[in-house]
This record gives sequence, structure tokens and C-alpha cells, in this order.
Amino acid sequence: MVRQTHDEAPSQDVVDLLVEQHAMIRELFARVTGADARNRRATFEELARLLAIHETAEEEVVHPLARRLLPGGDGVVRDRLDEEEKAKEMLARLDEMDAESPEFLSLLDELRMAVLTHAQYEERYEFLYLRQQGSPDQLARLVGAVRAAEAVAPTRPHPGMESATGNLLAGPVLALFDRMKDAVRKARTNET
Amino acid sequence: MAFNPLQERGIPLDQQLRNWRELNVTPLDPDHADPYTRCRVITMNGIEVEAILFSHQFSRNCLDADVKRQLAEVRYIEHQQQKAVNWLLPGAASPLETTIAYEQVAVDLTAWVARMEPDPYLKQAYQFGVLEDFDHLYRYANLYEMVQHRKAEKIVDALTEVMPGRPTKFHHRNAADNVRDPYDRDEASPLSKLHALTIMSAEQQTMNFYMNVGPQYMEPIARQLYQEIGLVEEEHVTHYESLVDPGETWWERLVNHEYNECYLYHSFMETEPDPKVRAIWELHLNMELEHLRIACDLMRRNDGREPEEILAPELPNVLTFEPNKAYIRELLDTQIDLTTLGAGYVREAHERFERMQEQIHGGEKPPSERIIDEHRERFGREYRMETEGPHPVESLREHEASRA
Repeated sequence: MVRQTHDEAPSQDVVDLLVEQHAMIRELFARVTGADARNRRATFEELARLLAIHETAEEEVVHPLARRLLPGGDGVVRDRLDEEEKAKEMLARLDEMDAESPEFLSLLDELRMAVLTHAQYEERYEFLYLRQQGSPDQLARLVGAVRAAEAVAPTRPHPGMESATGNLLAGPVLALFDRMKDAVRKARTNET
Repeated sequence: MAFNPLQERGIPLDQQLRNWRELNVTPLDPDHADPYTRCRVITMNGIEVEAILFSHQFSRNCLDADVKRQLAEVRYIEHQQQKAVNWLLPGAASPLETTIAYEQVAVDLTAWVARMEPDPYLKQAYQFGVLEDFDHLYRYANLYEMVQHRKAEKIVDALTEVMPGRPTKFHHRNAADNVRDPYDRDEASPLSKLHALTIMSAEQQTMNFYMNVGPQYMEPIARQLYQEIGLVEEEHVTHYESLVDPGETWWERLVNHEYNECYLYHSFMETEPDPKVRAIWELHLNMELEHLRIACDLMRRNDGREPEEILAPELPNVLTFEPNKAYIRELLDTQIDLTTLGAGYVREAHERFERMQEQIHGGEKPPSERIIDEHRERFGREYRMETEGPHPVESLREHEASRA
């Protein structure tokens, strides 16, 4: 699960869940920026995992629905995918950089602004209309597909697993996106 | 050290026009900017909007074509100033985040003015109003967590507490009871005039903002909350605008507007930590000095009076955004149950107040109450940020029972 502390209300449908993840992503960016140089890599990896879960869920589950339901959905989704592609490139570059270098922080900041803006666009131009056009059932069912992506790599490692944090990424960050995509597709096939 | 805007030289008007590149300001960082920098931006936008609207009204009431042209020249520059200032707000922030920042302005700006105001009747007007904006902040903060899953402390950054003030449902008074008595233009201290103009402008901008932003929301509770608080903002504008002496001449009012802009840009220049934003305050101060000079000339020519007769010999103390937590808590403790009757304040719910309450609520809970109920239902608690201990008013504490 992404985050279900006592503090959060349970997510009701997929839009709720994604908006909640937007808030967590924003939070994690602040934590990476604020982390001291030694801990920055580990916090960054947590961010990368959450971004992978989130973007995969959007690409595989939400955007296809938006494309079908929204008037002008093709164009809206194409714009979002372009933004996601650019963000992924930045994420991959960051992944190869020394997290303690000043260049890392400046690129991280660039990524943060790109992701925040992307999230605002989604909320305003996509999610708003999904709630109008999609049935409550339809939106609630999609929560399961997002959870499948989460299962590939939990964002909050279990207590005692901290030392293994680095291994969860297991290779370059883009490979993580691929593994999540497979998991979501599998979950969706099982669903039908 | 003292700064007297009447003695300073500004930028000549014909050198004030900016091109598109110069107007294209870099917005504040939505997550890392100083919350009080954002408060200064919102305040100055309200001040510029008032300057513009005032100038339009003046022009519509002005028979002299030369004066109309002079007003138009200055007004165009004021419009550019408004664009440069308000465009500092980041597009990556949602309208609700900006709303919460507006309420933080209303709390900490009004509290500062209440603390500094020399006239007791005017001071009371600010003390009365600030407890209402303080409550609005709490209601919007609960809406924010509900629709955006974020906490308002990310915006106000523990500088301003978030908890109930005078409950919004009690802000709906008979409209006639919102009209205060004005200060006397010949007796009032120049500082009092600046305060009244500043708070009136800030509330007017808030009113306009909610008018336009409210219907952009889809969630029924969000739409309704903006309607309800939007109507209270109308009451606040009525409350504060009636403090200004309506016997001031148009020329005198123009001078007061320009002088107030000099005062605020100077204050913000002195207190701004962000160098890029400070450069804008400084540039605009230098523009306003010239606008003030022009206004003073118009007053001398048309009113036959010297501006020095109505203005302070030097700028008052720098207006500062800073936490006012202890002050707000003291007001909560002593003034929570006030309402207005005529131009004064009373503690009992009088007949006219009761009638309005019955009519507007129609026997149901208003949106400002339902937002808290819905939030509790969904999260099992309310959103509050009480950094200085439990709420000073026992009955407004969040009881364990209500958290279950």
C-alpha cells in the first residue's frame, strides 16, 4: 500500500488515489531536497519508486480511459504523455548522477517543477472530467490496478528492510517502470 | 533615516512603461517560497486593483478631459504594476491554495493593523473582522485536505495557526448592521487613513477572487463554501469601506491612494528577503513616488490645498508580516461572541440578527459547518494546526468524542 496511516482517509476511487499520490510526490520532493547529502540517494529512490508506480498507473489505466471518455481526450492524453516522457528522461539522468553533487539538486528542482505542473494539468484537464464522464463503479474498480503496481515495489519498506532499500530498485530506474507496466497489465488481464 | 515620499524623486512617468519581456516575471516557487512573500504579493495585488478601480471611478465622475487623460496615463502603469505583482503567483498552485494564502493575509495583515491602529473605534473594527477571517482559514483548510489530500500547514507554514475563530455561520448579519461610522478626515491620524484603505483593498480583492474562483470547483461542498464565505467578504468590504470618511474630495482620495502605495511598497522593500521580489517592490516604489507627485499637483490645482495638510510628515513604521498568534488568541478569548448592532458591537443575539440567521440558514446547517462534518466523517478528525496549545475557548476545542 502506498500510504494508509491513521491520518489519511481511505481512497474512494482511482482519482482520489492519484490526487493523494500527487500530494505524496510533492512531499517526497521536499524531503529529497531537504535531506542531507548522505541520505539523499535513499530518499530519491523512494521518490523514484513512487513516481514509477504513479506514472505507470496513469499510463496504463487512467489515460486510456480518459482517451475514450473525454471529448478531445486524445489530445489531452498526448500532451500528458509528452510531459511524462520528459520527466522520465530527467529521472533517468538523476539516477545516474552523484546525489551529493550540486548538479543533482538543480536537475532535481527542474524535475520537481515539471512534475508539479504536470500534476496540476492532470487534475484540471483530465481528472475533473473523468469524474464527470466515468461511472463511480468504473473509477472505483481501477484502484485495484494501481495497487498492483504498488505491489511490485512498496514505497515504504517494511521495518527492518531499510538496508535492502537500494536493492528494491534493482537496476536502472527505467527498468522499474517496465516491471510495473507488466504487473499492471497482468492484473488487468486477470480482472477480465 | 525617515522616509518622506513627498521629498523623494521617482521615475519620470514617460519612462515607466514596460515591454512584454520586462512584464514576464518569474513566479514564486509553489513549495519553497516564504509564505510571507506570497502574502506581500497578494496584498500588493489588492492594493493595485483598488488603485485601478478607484481611478476608473474617478474618471467616470470627472468632467475635465485633461485630468481624464492624466488619470489614464497613470492608470495604465498601475495596470502594468498589477500584472507584474500578481503574476508572481505560480500557476502550479491551485486556486484553493491561493485562497488559503488570501486568508493568511487577512489574518496577519488585519492583526498587525489592529495592533498599530491608534483610534480605539477603528481598532475595534479590525479586531472584530480578524476573528472572522481566522475562521475562514480553518474552513478552507478542511476543504483543502478533503479535495487535495494536503495539509494547510504546507502553505501557511506554522506562522499562522489554523483553528476555529468566530464561527462563520454567525457572520451573516443584517446588512444594515455592517455599516460602521467613518473617521473624521480632519481629525483622524494619517496612519488611520492608510490602515482603512489597506484593509478595505485587501478584503475587496478577496471578495472579487472568491466571486470568480468559486464556480470553478466541481465538488458541491467546495462550490457552496465559496458562496457562503464570498457573501461574508461582501459584509467585510461594507464594514471596512464605511470607515473611510466619504467627505474626502476625489483629489484627496487620489493622494491618499498614491501615498498608501508608497507606504506599502516601501514597507515591503524593507522586509522582503527574496531579492528578485524585493527588486520589484523597489522599482514600483520609485514609480509610485512619481504617481504621488502627480496626484499632489492635481490636488493643489483643483482643491486649492496643500497635500501636506492631510499627509504624515514621514512614512509610519514599516508594515510587517509576522506571526500574531498570541494576539489572535487573546481576541478569541475576549471577543468571540461579538456581533454588530447599528454602528456598534454587542454580545447578545438581537432580533435583527436572529431574523437574518433564520432566513439565510433556512433551518439547515450552512456549508461552513458541513465541511467540518464531512471532513470528520472521512478522516475521523478535523484539520487544525494549534501550535500554541489547546484552543483558548473551551467550547471550540476539538473534543475526543468528536474525533471518534
